[in-house]
Parts: sequence; C-alpha cells; structure tokens
Amino acid sequence: MTAVVAEEERLARVALNAIAEPGDPRLGRLVAALGAQEVYDRLRADVDLTGMRSEAGERLAATDPERILGEADDLGIRFLVPGDGEWPGGLDDLATVEPVNQLSGEPLGLWVKGPLDLAAVCRRSVAVVGSRSATTYGTSVAADLSAHLAGEAVTVVSGAAFGIDQAAHRGALAGGGQTVAVLACGVDRPYPAAHRGLLEHLAEVGAVVSELRPGCAPTRVRFLSRNRLIAALTTGTVVVEAAVRSGALNTANWAARLNRVLMGVPGPVTSAPSEGVHELVREGRAGLVTRGEHVMELVSPAGRHLHRSPRGETQGRDRLDLTEQRVLEAVPLVRAVESSAIARTAGLGVDTVRTTLSRLAELGWVESEGPRWRRAGEQLC
Amino acid sequence: MGWATARTVMLSGASGHVVDVQADVTQGLVSTTLVGRPDPSVSEARDRCRTAIVNSSLTWPSTRRVTILLSPADLPKRGPHLDLAIAVAVVSATDENKLEPLDLAGKVFLGELTLDGRVRAIQGVLPMVLAARARGLTQAIVPEVQAREAQMVPGVSVIGVRSLAQAVAVLRNDAEIPDAPPVEPLSMGSLLTWRGDRRTEELDLADVHGMADARFALEVAAAGGHHLLLSGPKGAGKTTLAERLPGILPDLTIEETLELSAVHSLAGAAPPAGDSPVRPPFRAPHHSATKASIFGGGSGRVHPGEISRALHGVLFLDEFPHFPADIIESLRQPLEHGEVTIARGDEVATFPARTMVVLASNPCPCGDYHPDVRESRCVCSEVRRRSYREKFSGPVVDRIDIVRHIAPLKPYELRDPLARPEPTAEVRRRVEAARARQAERYTGTPWRVNADVPGPELAVKWPLTAEAQLLLDDHLCAGRITRRGAARAHRLAWTLADLRGEDVPGRDCVDVAVRLRAGDPLLVSALPAAAR
Repeated sequence: MTAVVAEEERLARVALNAIAEPGDPRLGRLVAALGAQEVYDRLRADVDLTGMRSEAGERLAATDPERILGEADDLGIRFLVPGDGEWPGGLDDLATVEPVNQLSGEPLGLWVKGPLDLAAVCRRSVAVVGSRSATTYGTSVAADLSAHLAGEAVTVVSGAAFGIDQAAHRGALAGGGQTVAVLACGVDRPYPAAHRGLLEHLAEVGAVVSELRPGCAPTRVRFLSRNRLIAALTTGTVVVEAAVRSGALNTANWAARLNRVLMGVPGPVTSAPSEGVHELVREGRAGLVTRGEHVMELVSPAGRHLHRSPRGETQGRDRLDLTEQRVLEAVPLVRAVESSAIARTAGLGVDTVRTTLSRLAELGWVESEGPRWRRAGEQLC
Repeated sequence: MGWATARTVMLSGASGHVVDVQADVTQGLVSTTLVGRPDPSVSEARDRCRTAIVNSSLTWPSTRRVTILLSPADLPKRGPHLDLAIAVAVVSATDENKLEPLDLAGKVFLGELTLDGRVRAIQGVLPMVLAARARGLTQAIVPEVQAREAQMVPGVSVIGVRSLAQAVAVLRNDAEIPDAPPVEPLSMGSLLTWRGDRRTEELDLADVHGMADARFALEVAAAGGHHLLLSGPKGAGKTTLAERLPGILPDLTIEETLELSAVHSLAGAAPPAGDSPVRPPFRAPHHSATKASIFGGGSGRVHPGEISRALHGVLFLDEFPHFPADIIESLRQPLEHGEVTIARGDEVATFPARTMVVLASNPCPCGDYHPDVRESRCVCSEVRRRSYREKFSGPVVDRIDIVRHIAPLKPYELRDPLARPEPTAEVRRRVEAARARQAERYTGTPWRVNADVPGPELAVKWPLTAEAQLLLDDHLCAGRITRRGAARAHRLAWTLADLRGEDVPGRDCVDVAVRLRAGDPLLVSALPAAAR
C-alpha cells in the first residue's frame, strides 16, 4: 500500500462512475484536469463544465455513492481507484492514449470480485482473446497457450465470452494458473448466462473485473470500452481466431495503441475465423505465435525465455564438408572399387580422393579392402 | 392311412424355405428311402428316427417299404433339425400306430432326435419360426428349451416338447402327456466368468475428458445411424470412444430385437435373455479375423458374420488399415445397402447388416504421427506413411459419413476444474429425441434412421432449405465434395436438424455436416451446450 485514498475521493469516483458511460473522453479529461472530487462537487453544484452539465447534476443528486458501495460490499465486490495499492499500473497508460472509436480514458475505478490482488497478478499477464464463433481448433490452441502461460506464472486475462475467451480461462485454470475476466457488465451479472459456472468459479479463485457498477447490463458500446481495459491491464495481447469483423480486433487495436505486444495465432489460410488474425500479421502489426514459448519470448524482458527455433536433427553426414560428401557419394555401397574409379565418378583429382578417403575411413564412413573402397556398415540414409 | 406330410424349414442365410416332409408307407420290398437332396446329416436321420420311434414305444414300419420325400426336391437339405418332422410323418403314416389321422396342417416341426426319443435343441429356431409364419403356418412344435425363443414371433402358437412321445401325444390331443427328462439348452456353457458381451454397458461418457469434437461426432453418428471414421495417434482414445457408442444408442425396438435374435439364433448363440429392453450389440473383431467370420460363411451351414451379429448396433474395426484389403472392399455392400450376400456354389445366403460401422486407424504405421501435433515422435518414412494412407482413400472410406481426427488429450485438460463431461444417459436422451423425430418422419417407409434413406429419395421428399442447398452446391462446384459426398452431407444435415429440433436443415446444418464429413474443425457453437 503506497498512498491511502481519501474516502471523499473514492465516493466521488463511485458517483461519477455511476452516471458516466465507461470510456467517455470528456469526463476522463475533466477528472484528469481537476480531480474527481472537484468535478463531482462542481457538477452537483450545477456548474457548467463544457457540455457535461445537461442532466449530470440531476443524476448525481439522485445517486448515493455510499449506498452503492455498501451494496457492492454485501456482494463481496470492492471498488478500486487510482492510488489504491491494488490499482493495476497498466491502466495509467489509458490517460494519455489516443481514442479508439471515440472511446478513451483511464477508468474512474474498477469493480472487482475475487481473491486475487489485481495489481500483483497483472504485472505478469497476457490477454488471450478471440472470436466467439471460434472453431474447435481455435479453442484448443487458446487453451494450450493459456495452460502454458499459467505454468509460467503468467496471468491470463480475457473476457469470459463464448469461444476463445472461455477456452483461455479454462486452460489457465487447468494449467494451475491465475486468470482474470474483464466484463462489459456488472461483475455480479452472469453474462453470458451459460457461463454462470465459469464466472462463479473465477470469482472464487481468480478475479472478475468491470468498470461498470454492479447490476449494469452489457451493451455493444460497453464491450468496446471493456476491450481497452483488457489491453491496458496486460503486457501483451494474443489474438486467437478473429474474423474480419471481430471484437477481438478492437482489443488488438487498443493493444497496439497502448504499445503492448500484439500477437496472433495463425489458422488454416482458408478459415474465415482466422482471417482477421492473418490480416494483423500480414500488416506487420502482430507477431506470429504458435505456442506458449513464443508468447513468453515476446512478453518477457529482453533475453529471457528465448525460444530456440526448431531444427531438424543434425545427421552425421551434415558435418562432412563438400569434398568429403562428393567422395562419399561416389563410393559404392556393396562392391568395392579402386580410388581411381571413385575419383572419376566424383569428378575430383585422384590425390584429393585418396586423402579424403582415408579421412572418411577414420570417421568410419568407408572401409578399404586392399586398394579398393566401399561404404562401411549400413548407411542407407 | 399310407402317407402323411409334416412341415419343417430350411434356412439359407436369414431367409427360410418351408420344406414338406412326406412319408409313404406301403407294401413292397422292405426298405427305407430318403429322397430330395438330403446331405449326409439328413440321411443319418433315417437311423435316428427309427430308433427314436421304437424307443418311444411307437412302431416303425419295419416290414414295409418306407419312402420319405423332402420337397421342394431341388433345395439342398441339411441339418439334424428335420428329424422331428420326419419322425412325425412316419409315425403318422404307419397304420400300426393305430392313430387317428394326426392333424399336421398348419404346423411346423423343428427338432433333432436322440436315440431314446428325446428332442434336442437346434440352431436357428427363431428365424425358422419367422419363415414358417411367413408361409402361413401358425403352430410351431419346437424343443422345449427353445420355446421361449420361438415365442418371440407374434402370431404363432408355440408348443415346446421334450420328446417325440410328447409331440405325438400333443398331436393326438391326449389328456396325459408322457413325462420326459428335460433337455439341455444349446448354448455352449462358458468356462470363464467372461462378461465380454455386457462389458460395454458399464462404460460411460462421463469418464471421457475433453474431446468435445469427437464426442459430438459420436452423438451425431448415433442419432442418424451414420458410419464413422476415427483417426488419431495410438493412445488418443479412439477405442475408448467407440466402445461408448452403443451406450448412447436407444434400446432396440421389438422388431429390431427380433431381427437381432434371429441372427443370434443362426449363429448358434442364445438369444438375449430376460424381459429387460435389449441393448444394441457391439462387436469388435480383430484385424486377423477371416473374411468369413466378419461377413458370414464358414464350412457347412452358412453362419452370419460379426457384421450381422452387430445388427442395429456397432461394428468396430480398430486399426482398419491392418485388415486385409478384400475385407475392407467387402464392406462396400453392407455400408451401402445394409445387408451381406454370400454366394457359394448353388447356395445364396443373405444376412441383414444394418450396422453402424466405426473404423479407427492410426495416422501412420507406427501410430505416432499426427498432422496437427507438432511434437510428433513418428518414425515412419514418408513412403511408408503414404502407402498406409492409400487405404484411407478407397471407395469404402468414401461411404463413411463422419471423419474425425482425434488429438491426444493434453495433461492439463484432466485438471480443468470446470470440466463436467456429460454422462452417457444425457447424450442418449438427445439421441432418442432425434431418433423419435426420424421415426415419425419415416412412418410408412422401410427406413428407420436418416442413414437408411436412399439419396434420390431424400433429395425429392426431404429437401434442404433453399439457402442450405445453395451452400451445398457451392461446395460441390468448388470440388470440395463429391456428388456422393453431397448426398451424404444432406443426410447428415438432417440428423443435425433432428438433434437441434429443427424442422428442416438450414445453412448451418449443412456447414456442420460438410465439416464433419471432411474432418475439418467445427465451430464451437455447433457443439452441444455442455461441451462448449
């Protein structure tokens, strides 16, 4: 715990959070310039703050931040604000970033349910996101990656949606790691309803996070503003399967805007659900990753977790030089011949061939039968 | 009374012919002749019958000329089960027995005789009684131990007898039926506490982790009766999955039970006992099995093969590329028409084979290769792999509706705290619902499941939605599927619609069907909710 946030500040943020849509750039700018408390006071006093006035004052008057906070507390939900020890540092980058889809700004606060310390787990974290209409290939790769990241003590952040998101959470859980779901609705709302079990489990062992106060319903715009949190909370974003019009690409945009590492998992080139990812890679915006090790290499500090490119096994013959290989090729497998015949076949001088042959004999590649030579043992490869 | 006719049945395959056994007893040179293409086992009947009649305190006309005709005369007769009919005919034709003329009309006699006149159990009682009923015979006299089997045929009254004397007493309407010691049942008593046939009933899908894709493939295959090919490296779980397929099939219907029992009976195995609903069979012959054991045949009488014994159930051929090429090729007829025909000399036997065929194969000879798994430990050369794969592309595999590649389970998947593999009972409920929709749709047709319906019929009577057909045509034009493939995808699409409870298969059903057939990854949204 570094700084203790004043109670008034927290309440002001609860109230502003309650009336504002997440990612509203105007409010973000005002709070950044004046401080939450000041904005709250002025709006309540009905001072015109560059277009924010309208009905904001009335709505603020009708809001009781203490009650909201109390009700959330009863549900086991806490409200984090900048300055809290648990406030993830990555979110600060949102204050200065250019808007995407006219949305931007640091969140006024985060509603969190679950035992994890958000700041701690997000320090080493990767977002794994992708299409809701994923294929079984995509979900299995997402689960693989997440399980690997979990094994490396990297937190997997995703959006608890169908398809890739849920595979990412499940993979991380199965891999024995930590995972955080960021929602586009109140953290007490099981959305999608089919993922009630997943969300309840995450609230028990991980963390469920949202910018929206408890009870809020998801909307299309809220998904977009939610995506900026997923990108900002993590050090990198992996996109597994995203069609050309997928929300996951919005997260990718935010990750790029925030200078986070952007990664894409390829799929079959004929597969529509992979087309968006392929486009990201093709434009040079995302790095291509196919396994957990690749992700670790890209998100870790330089020089750590370096991945060795896979190579075919070096076979004995690869270690011979060009002349030796030419001579060896010219030596018959079964019937021994004289070195002059070998020289003719290899197109090399007799002297060179003789010295090379004795070297090859030392290495065990050929054997002599008086003046004749043939291959040693079984060397069919 | 100088002559009499009793009826019995000859089987060729699963179809039967009623045989008239006519006995004629007249004055003349003393002899006993048996005519009408009897084979040695029937010729021996003369001696068995004479001794049995004498030892039953009846009279054999030993001072007369006895002629026994088995007609139709051109049909080869084989098997000891004609004994009872021969003996009854002779007894009835012999005046010394001082009988009222016995009423043999409308009756069929089945049973082998011992020298002391007892009636032994025989093979194939059920199909014989079925054949007799088809020819209008309404009363069957069978060995007592097999009366229960014969009673499975509705519309036929069954009398079980222990001896020839009992049979004659029944025919004479005697008030008192002479007692006789009971006869042993046919089945060869098992020496071991082997429970092979019932083992699959204890297997549950709840024990199968992950593999959502393959589980869904099983469900679709079961719902529409489609053939299935599972490919995957050794240890990936192909057998585990295949063995759980019968579990999600519905109980057999009465007719199906009857047909299966008839096949069992032909094979000399006891029909499924008890009053509980009969579960679909599961047969898994090893790749060293002979062609005759899989499709039927054998020396002497033609026996049904494994494919028929798996009737209305599952025939699982593990490591199918190891099966001899002619066995694989012979699968064509049963896969396409649901029956096998065995032609041998002048004998043609047809057995039912409406069976779901599940083929499993390793992706290469060593079993470790997998195109989707990077950490492949395969040691096969590309040449060996290719020659192995050639077995996959034959006309047989083209008749398989669903092709799935199974990736080995990853260790972390076992530790997924939220994994709740669906139990067999729940999957079976969905399969039953889908089958019920099909049964309703195909009322009044000879078909029961989508896989039975011929392609042209399906195209005309049960078309897809216009946009679904358009999608299928696209695939066809692009050369991604063959015409037969399109027909099979059409059938699969119906099964998918039945599983989803939709009235007609739409675009999405066709998309999933084409993916299932091509072995392509599925959209997660196509899977049942519990598997997503």
